[in-house]
Order: sequence, then C-alpha cells, then structure tokens
Amino acid sequence: MTEALGRVLPGLRHRRRIRNALLHLVLLTASVAFTFPFLWMLFTALKTPAELLQGTAAFFPSVPQWSNFVTAVTVIPFFMYLMNSLIVVVLVMLGTLFSATTAAYAFARLEWRGRDVWFVVMLATLMIPIQVILIPTYILYAHIGWLGTRLPLIVPAFFGGGAAFYIFMLRQFFKGIPKELSESAIIDGANHFQIFGRIMLPLSKPALITVMLFTFMGAWNDFFGPLIFLSNPDHWTLALGLRAFQLQFGGRFDLMMAAAILMVIPTLLIFFFAQKSFIEGITFTGIKG
Amino acid sequence: MKKRAQTLSRMKRQENLIGYLFASPWITGLILLGAFPFLASFYISFTNYNMLSFPRFIGLTNYRILLSSDTIFWRSLGNTFYHVSIAIPLGIVLGVGLALLLNNKVYGMSVYRTMFYLPNVVSIVAMALMWLWLFQPSFGLINEVLSPVYRLLDIEPLRWHQDARLAKFSLILMGLWAVGGPMVIYLAQMQDIPNALYESAEIDGASWVRKTVSITLPLMTPSIFFNFIMGLIGGFQVFTIAYIMTSGGPGRATYYYAYYLFDTMISDQNMGMASAMAWILLVLVLIVTMIALRLNRYVVYLGEES
Repeated sequence: MTEALGRVLPGLRHRRRIRNALLHLVLLTASVAFTFPFLWMLFTALKTPAELLQGTAAFFPSVPQWSNFVTAVTVIPFFMYLMNSLIVVVLVMLGTLFSATTAAYAFARLEWRGRDVWFVVMLATLMIPIQVILIPTYILYAHIGWLGTRLPLIVPAFFGGGAAFYIFMLRQFFKGIPKELSESAIIDGANHFQIFGRIMLPLSKPALITVMLFTFMGAWNDFFGPLIFLSNPDHWTLALGLRAFQLQFGGRFDLMMAAAILMVIPTLLIFFFAQKSFIEGITFTGIKG
Repeated sequence: MKKRAQTLSRMKRQENLIGYLFASPWITGLILLGAFPFLASFYISFTNYNMLSFPRFIGLTNYRILLSSDTIFWRSLGNTFYHVSIAIPLGIVLGVGLALLLNNKVYGMSVYRTMFYLPNVVSIVAMALMWLWLFQPSFGLINEVLSPVYRLLDIEPLRWHQDARLAKFSLILMGLWAVGGPMVIYLAQMQDIPNALYESAEIDGASWVRKTVSITLPLMTPSIFFNFIMGLIGGFQVFTIAYIMTSGGPGRATYYYAYYLFDTMISDQNMGMASAMAWILLVLVLIVTMIALRLNRYVVYLGEES
C-alpha cells in the first residue's frame, strides 16, 4: 500500500509542477498584456518625433527626451488645469464624505418613519441613466447662472449626488460597530451628534478612507461632467485639458503620452499605496451589493 | 408606568426628527437634483424646447419622429446594442476566466491581481489617447506586433478604429483592458466559497473541471449577475471612448446612443428631443434589467433555502 503510494506521489508532484508552470506562463502573459501599455506609454513619451515613425524598430528611446514632459506642461496651461482638478476633487471629496456619512448614520442607527422606503429609493437611483436627470439639471443650472462655473460639479456632492454606493457601504460598516458603544454613550448623556462625531466616525476610518479614495478617482478622472458644465476654459480640469491637448497636437503622440502620464501618475501612486482599501471596497460593492 | 410610556413615545418622536435631520442633505439632493429633474425631463420630452423660448407642448411628436423617421436614432441604437451584446459576454468570460486562474492558490496571486486591476485607475481620456496610439495602423504597437501574422497570411494590416467594419469591435477590445475590475469581484466571491465543498468533492474524485462547473461557477452567479447588470447600465451609456477616439466615425460606425443624445442636447440644444431619447434609454434599460431579473431566478444560486 505505502509502496504504491510512494510510486504515485512523485508522479502527482511532477504533474502539479507542470500544471503550476503552465499556470504562471498564462498569468505572466496576461500581466504583460495588462501592464505593457503603461511602459509603451512611457517609452513613447521619451521618444523623438522621428523615432515615433519607426514603430518597434526604435523600441527604446535612443536618447530619453525628458524635455517632452517640460513641453507638455508648457504648451497647455497644465498647472492651471491641475489646480482646477484639485479644487473640484477636494470639494467633491468633502461633500461626499459629509452627505454620505450623515445619511448612512440615519440608515444604520436611527429609527425614522419611511426609512426603509427611502433606502429602496436610494438603491433604485443606481439604475437610472444620468441622461434622464441631466437635461433638467442642465436647464436649472443655466437659469440660476451656474453654467460655466464649477458649482454644478461640486454642490451636488454635498447633497448626496452620486453617493448612493458610498451611503450603502458606510451603512453596512456602521451596522457592524457594536451597538453597546453608542448605548452606553447615551446612558452617559451623549446625543446622536456626539455619538456620530466621537464614536462612529473615528471607528470607521477604513471605510471613510475607501470612500475618499473612490471619490478621488471618480472626480479626478471624470470627463463627462466637466465636458457638459465647464464651458469656461479657465475652469477646465486635467481631463478636459488632455482632450484640448489632443485637438491641438493630435499627431504628436510623444507629447500626448507625456501629458497623459502626468495625469495618470497620481491615481497609480494612490492605488499602489492604498491597494488594500481599494480591493476591499470593490469586492464589498460587488458581493454584498 | 404611564409616565414611562410618555417618555418613550417622546424619545421616539425625537429620534424620528433626528433621523430626518441626518438624512436631510441626501433627501434634499434626492428631491431637488433627482426626483424633480426626473419628472421634469418626462414633461420636457413632450415639448419643443430650445432653451431660448418657452417650452411648447407637442404631445408625442418627439417620440414619433425618433421612432418612425429618424434613421440616425436607429443607427445609434443598433451600434449600442452591438456594443453591449458583445462587450458584456466577452467581459464576463475573460473576467471569470482570469479569476479562475488566480483562484488556484498560485504564488504571487495578489501581485497578479494588482497588475490586472491597474488599468481601472486610469483616466478614460488618457486611456483613449493611449489606445489611439496602440491602434495606430502604420506604426502603432499592435500592428507592429501583428506584422508577422499579416505577412504570413498575406493580408493588409488592419485599420482598427479607422475601419468602419472594425471600429466598434476595436473599442470593445480596448474596453476589455479594464476587465480586472469585475475580475476582482469574481475572485473575492470565489474565495468566499467554503473549502469543505471542494474537499468533499475531491473525496468523490472530482476533477478540476468538474469542481469548477459544479461548485465554483454556480456559487459565483450572484457576482456575475451583479457585473452583468452594471455592465448593461454602463454599456448603454457608452460615450467617452467614441468621443475621444473616433468622433463617432468612421461614417457613424461608433456613433452610440449616448453620443447622439449628447449632440442633440449640447450641439442642437433640442432639449425636448434629448429628453425623449433619455426616457427611451431608461425604458430600454429597465426592460432589459427586468428580463435579466426574471432569468436570474433560474440561473442565480441564492443558497439552499431560496
């Protein structure tokens, strides 16, 4: 019996090793397909226009043209776009944190009439294509003189605009915090505002960070909102700036890739440093949603 | 006793008030920036309104024009259906496939996962510009890599997004680059499956294929369904990639529904017509979702009880 096992096991181990090697081969190939475009972007950004026309014959830039990055930020008002992006992003983050945490607390910890109906309504808003509400809001903003300002991108965030996912996520997180904590605080004479501010929020840091990361990515990368509402070039964000760059220098892929890299770097860095929060957030919305 | 009941009901009333207070920013937004525009766009869809004069009620005219005599409407709708019906199944197959590979307790799983997810954090404008360069027919990377194949088959290099027959598919191909997003969800759900199930299957001598088909895939149907619905809602609104890469061309080949809606709204300022298009879109999304929910009952595994 043991003898037979001894003959079978090395064979099994051998087969497993081959299988593992094949698996890694497939996964490595896929990894290259997913990540090589980033490298190619960088190579392109460092090439001369002449090298661009040689395709892979000039695979690496012979002399890295770091000046392409300088050109990219000077031919367009890059830093103005960057400032504009930051203004919108920071305010949207603040607004979303405010409106999402308050609503989530109401849904998770308070009894109020109609709560469950409102909750279903909130989930239903996830299904509605934005175009349906976009047109009247556009008309509304035109009438109150907000078109051409940043307000249509920022103000809705303070009123839960686009926050349904985050409200849901935070509600689940709040529900996971032991009720005894807030009950003993109530006995000690704390009101709901104190419980919210001194117990729930400090204990929810991981969830708050996830919400901030996702709002950052969303607002930083948003193209459609700025395209509709930011008619004044002085308010353009990086996403619109990059589009303007394309319209102006469409053939210069070296410069275009340099500008694109500058816009992508912050999101890549944030993702690398906060991977865990990211992956948890994504899987949360996907599985428990 | 009576006094206690009174305090209790007072506390209840108070909590009711506080509940509404906490929810009020969101509820205000929902009413002013959600419900009101929602109803308003329904009304506007029955009017002729160009933002300069007062909206004029014209009944079903907008809908009639769109459905009966607007060839661009049907063309853009067809393009969108093409996009959705190919991009979603391909995305699911690829996403689930990659997740299955990563679910094998492979060494370095989280590194692979990170690399697959990476494209998802890239701005869609930057991504579109990058693919414009990769697809570039004369010296773009993709055709350079494929050039031996072209020579072997003795065919002209493909012109990808510049070829009317291939443009939609090129954009779908590019969208698959972001398949790591759904994949992360699939993988998480796979890892939630109790090991005991696999162990007892192994005792019965089940192979990897058998375990995948009989255990993994059925238990993953909820996340597949979630991504399917999200893919539908997003897919019907595809706009930016076409706007940046092809301007809807060549020859309207990538002129999607949301693109036509955008032009009707922003360029033509024809708010009545654009609202009618938005409502047709909403109804379409709802119908398709309903059908999916119906099928869901037969396909999605919801645990022993249900």
